[in-house]
Amino acid sequence: MISMRNVSKVYGADKPALGDVNVEIEQGEFVFLVGHSGSGKSTFIRLLQRELLPSSGTIIVAGQDLTKMKNWKVPFLRRNIGCVFQDFKLLPNKTTYENVAFALEVIGRSKHVIRTQVPEVLRLVGLEDKINSYPDELSGGEQQRVSIARAFVNRPPLLLADEPTGNLDPATSLGIMSLFSRINKTGTTVLVATHDREMVDSMRKRVIALENGVVIRDQDRGVYGYGD
Amino acid sequence: MAINLGYFLKESVVSFRRNWVMSLGAVITIYLSLLLVGASVGSSMIVSQVVRSVEEKVSIRVFLKDGAAPADVDSLQAALVADARVKNVKYTSKEQALKDFGATMVESPELVDALEVNPLPASLDVDLKTPQDVNAVVAMIKANPTFLKVADRPDKPEKSLKYGQQIVNQLFAFTRVLRAVGAVFIIMLAIISLIFINNTIRLAIYARRKEIGIMRLVGASNWFIRTPFLLEGTLQSLLGALLALLTLGSIQWFVMPKVRETISFLPVTLSAGAAAQISAILILSGVVIGLGGSAFALRRYLKV
Repeated sequence: MISMRNVSKVYGADKPALGDVNVEIEQGEFVFLVGHSGSGKSTFIRLLQRELLPSSGTIIVAGQDLTKMKNWKVPFLRRNIGCVFQDFKLLPNKTTYENVAFALEVIGRSKHVIRTQVPEVLRLVGLEDKINSYPDELSGGEQQRVSIARAFVNRPPLLLADEPTGNLDPATSLGIMSLFSRINKTGTTVLVATHDREMVDSMRKRVIALENGVVIRDQDRGVYGYGD
Repeated sequence: MAINLGYFLKESVVSFRRNWVMSLGAVITIYLSLLLVGASVGSSMIVSQVVRSVEEKVSIRVFLKDGAAPADVDSLQAALVADARVKNVKYTSKEQALKDFGATMVESPELVDALEVNPLPASLDVDLKTPQDVNAVVAMIKANPTFLKVADRPDKPEKSLKYGQQIVNQLFAFTRVLRAVGAVFIIMLAIISLIFINNTIRLAIYARRKEIGIMRLVGASNWFIRTPFLLEGTLQSLLGALLALLTLGSIQWFVMPKVRETISFLPVTLSAGAAAQISAILILSGVVIGLGGSAFALRRYLKV
């Protein structure tokens, strides 16, 4: 699903944000990307979205080489990648339903598809009762569920999450993580960048640890780390 | 596609309302520029029509001296009639000339009565088949030896001839100036309109930056993101074009008839074909300005 070979990313002339990263992620895997702030997690995620291009190396996502991809094809790549962020990125003037439907509208899905898929995904994330609520009427955890519903409504084979529980309390975070786990069980590859130690330790999934832009550990059924 | 068009139109209208002061400003500048475009194109069409009608009236008048030998006059007339470029030649006697002059002075006949002797010369009036031949025929007349014998002022042959070329040249010079001034104004206004559209679209992009971010995130195609803005700019500028057309139309229907009454001797009308041509020009330049201005803004402010 994801293959990064000798990937480096340098902003300006300083030391690299990512240096010589080699990572292979198979389809259907659940992977945590851990590290301190500034360790390169966000750069890693943005490279996969082709929000950024690497300074060197190759990145292959879903069989496509992002470094050789034409600009006009990028939107079609992104339809296959669901994205979840720390700040939810919901539109405040749209209801739960409309926020999720928006993701389908703008890629030209028919009204019929929207009417069947949106309620379905809202049921999956447990928000069937909040369909007509606006984001400011929802709790942080509920807002994050809306944003996950939006990321998943098009059934992408890959889901990327950048600090999805960064603004949430531990109990709520647990709920979000089990939601990711459920999505992963449908066959979707899930990559979660986080520095939530408890979460990573309790889930026992594959862990890739970054430090100063370098992969220092890549471990199946791993934990957040020792000693730090 | 039908769904999309509805979506795009809705987005454009919402954006127009959200940002109505700037949008109105853009519509008004486009309205004024296109009004000027239409007015100057229309008036230059009318002026060239007037010029053509004056050209058609171009004839050469050869003044004859008093007591010119009738045989010489006849031979000059025969030589002129024989020329292929001449349509016909009419002889006007001194008496006829005075009568014609009196007809133009009906308001003060005492001036004509006051004349003790008839000061007007007899003349040969030469009508041409095509006005462009005026100068050639004038040269031909000057070269004719009989002309010098019968000319009113043989010492200055030029003064014995009168023809309309001077007037036509002046009118053409006038239209040239009119066109140049018009073109400068139009170019300036077109630039201002482009800047205005560019600005409103920039604000529209700024107002929708969150939606745009999400659209990019979920994989909306670049054209899907761009189209509402292009449409918004184009609709604004089409609105300006329609207002300009409405104004020009009311001038054509309500003001022009009054002008025709006042100067009935000149054909100051704009044909239906010309009006359609101007409408097409306005609509087309409206679309070009709207698309151009918003495309420019998108290139600068919308990274997709």
